Amino acid sequence: MITVERLCKSFGSLVAVDEVSFEVNEGEIFGLLGPNGAGKTTTINMICGVLKPDAGRVVIGGKDIWLEPKIVKQSLGVVPQEIAVYEDLSARDNLNFWGSLYGLSGGDLKSAVDTSLTRVGLSDRAGDRVKEFSGGMKRRLNLCMGLLHNPRVLLLDEPTVGIDPQARLNILEVVREVAAGGTTVLYTTHYMDEAQELCDRIAIIDHGRILTVGTLEELTRLAGEAEVLRITGNFDDPANRERLSALDGVRVLKADDRIAVLSVDAGGPGLLAILPQILAPDLGVDDVSIQQPNLQSVFISLTGKELRD
Amino acid sequence: MVALEIVRRDLLRYWRNPIRTSLLFAVPLVMAGVFALAFGGGGGDQISIKVLLFDEDDSLLSRFIEGAGDSSRSDHRLEVVPVGEEGYEMMERGEASALVHLPEGFTADYLDGNPTTIGVVKNPSERFLPKVVDEGVRIGAVGLSEASQVFRAELAQMGDFAREKEFPADLAVANLSAGVNQNLRGLERFLFPPVVTLESVSLRPEGGEEEEEESGFNILAYVLPGFSIMGILFLAQSATRDILRDRESGLLRHLLTAPVSVNDYLGGKCLSVFAVTILGFTVFVLIGIAAGIHWGPAPAVVALMLASALATAGLLILIMSLVGSERQGDTLTTMIIIVSSMLGGAFLPVSQMPSFLKPISASTLVYWSTEGFSKLIIDGGGLADIVPNLAVLTVVGLILMLIGAVVLKRKIERGAV
Repeated sequence: MITVERLCKSFGSLVAVDEVSFEVNEGEIFGLLGPNGAGKTTTINMICGVLKPDAGRVVIGGKDIWLEPKIVKQSLGVVPQEIAVYEDLSARDNLNFWGSLYGLSGGDLKSAVDTSLTRVGLSDRAGDRVKEFSGGMKRRLNLCMGLLHNPRVLLLDEPTVGIDPQARLNILEVVREVAAGGTTVLYTTHYMDEAQELCDRIAIIDHGRILTVGTLEELTRLAGEAEVLRITGNFDDPANRERLSALDGVRVLKADDRIAVLSVDAGGPGLLAILPQILAPDLGVDDVSIQQPNLQSVFISLTGKELRD
Repeated sequence: MVALEIVRRDLLRYWRNPIRTSLLFAVPLVMAGVFALAFGGGGGDQISIKVLLFDEDDSLLSRFIEGAGDSSRSDHRLEVVPVGEEGYEMMERGEASALVHLPEGFTADYLDGNPTTIGVVKNPSERFLPKVVDEGVRIGAVGLSEASQVFRAELAQMGDFAREKEFPADLAVANLSAGVNQNLRGLERFLFPPVVTLESVSLRPEGGEEEEEESGFNILAYVLPGFSIMGILFLAQSATRDILRDRESGLLRHLLTAPVSVNDYLGGKCLSVFAVTILGFTVFVLIGIAAGIHWGPAPAVVALMLASALATAGLLILIMSLVGSERQGDTLTTMIIIVSSMLGGAFLPVSQMPSFLKPISASTLVYWSTEGFSKLIIDGGGLADIVPNLAVLTVVGLILMLIGAVVLKRKIERGAV
């Protein structure tokens, strides 16, 4: 449904997006996971036709968005990262205007507005000015505007940033419903748990490049580890770090003065044999936590740093 | 059509925010309203000056002065109200522009040639009208002083007559009359015919009917067009500020994800700014009509309004296209609005400015608009008289708007959204 081919974009000397390519199948929820500044927003701005790429192309539903923008955008819904609504108008006024841009009018427009408001739980606040809304409500309205015209493709750029957990859950639920109805979803986020819970396939992006693409299982297998150990202690002494590196059956993914992240090799001696070595007094370890392989560990194994860094 | 939807949305935002919308009109409306209240009235009415006359002398001369101020010819200009000592309290309450005090014995001293004084108490809360009274009394005092010099003997004789309890003898009156006549004959070659006369006419188009004009002057007719232009510029500033706000807030980015081209958006915003300025201008024109201004022939007024609105919209769109942020835009446009309003004749007629400023004034759009309205309102011109003004405002406005739109489009497409 969405084909992104070798997109490139630079801002002066900064290469924001570097030969990004991926495909999104019809009806799937595709995640674009990466830390802040990885190039997610720039990529999605190019995909939705707002930012012209320096190179590459974007095909949605078989049409190049830059050659036939109005046709493609008619079936595209976008939920931007910024809360881009008119705060001095009511929710209904905003949606009426937005719907008119997609050619909706009269009874069709009213019906679409009512349905969308109900879907995100804002029906009882439809006549209130947006400036009176909480952050979560504004995000839901933002989402509403992307769904108003029943798009075939929905692009969401970090739609849950800065909102309360309840509102976040509501948005994620709506996204699942929309996808279940056949809409193709491209979802960008820096929250690993969102990507894990929501997405059928995930692309990991950092410094403007796609590092890997696959399902959660494929990605964690790619990293080749069993458990992940996150230990805190006193590692400013290089000798301690060397001792960690010398441990049999572990791989140091990341180590700084206070935190080290180790992966336990699947074919190694196992966690029960490794833990006593880690907890030896001379290593200066204060705390150990054990995690199952996840996107965080995948990201660390690919980049050497954590997703939130 | 997307552009019209954008116009409709912008107008809806003004409608939904009446307080904010009213504040946009507030400064020029307050300024215009103050002038209207101070100087407005029916069509072509004169400025009304209320003067309290505290006449302690209560003599022939003082009644003559009172009568002169109260004559039917100056009915609309000067309202002379006889008062007693309470006049000073009335002045403290600001109930008149000035109080003229004729002291007891004024006439007797004048006739005897003794120095005497007419007192004028001015209302400090008024700037203009008390000075008019002051100057008028001053001129009157000079006139009386000169007459006293010329007709000294005759005035002394009149003083003697006034002190006598009986009517003067016929011979004495005849002698007085002869003396006055002789003095007037002596002055005749200086006074008549007058070397300089005043002839006041208004040019009319060929075939137009001559109309008798009321003498006098409506200050509001001079100042309201200029204030209106300034007000329109501030309205256009507010409307174009939205373009930058849309950019900075991400609204523009969001809009462009819909089936909306950059041309649609810019076309809509240009139309929106134009619509707001037209509506604003209409408000000012209506205020002027309510205050008694005859703006001129309707087609000419409408054409000049449209051209002025187009010019102000174009200017502000161009400026906003060149700046980098809303704050920069506000600072720069405010400076330009105030300076161009001053230079262009919004506050002070260009004809009163130093000659080196006049070419600079003519480079401002404010000049072409205020001058156009002056031709209509003050000179009584018509559509044909303002063709140069319409041409300059329309052409320049379109060019500025086009350049601004092109600059904005390039910025948006380059990614500076």
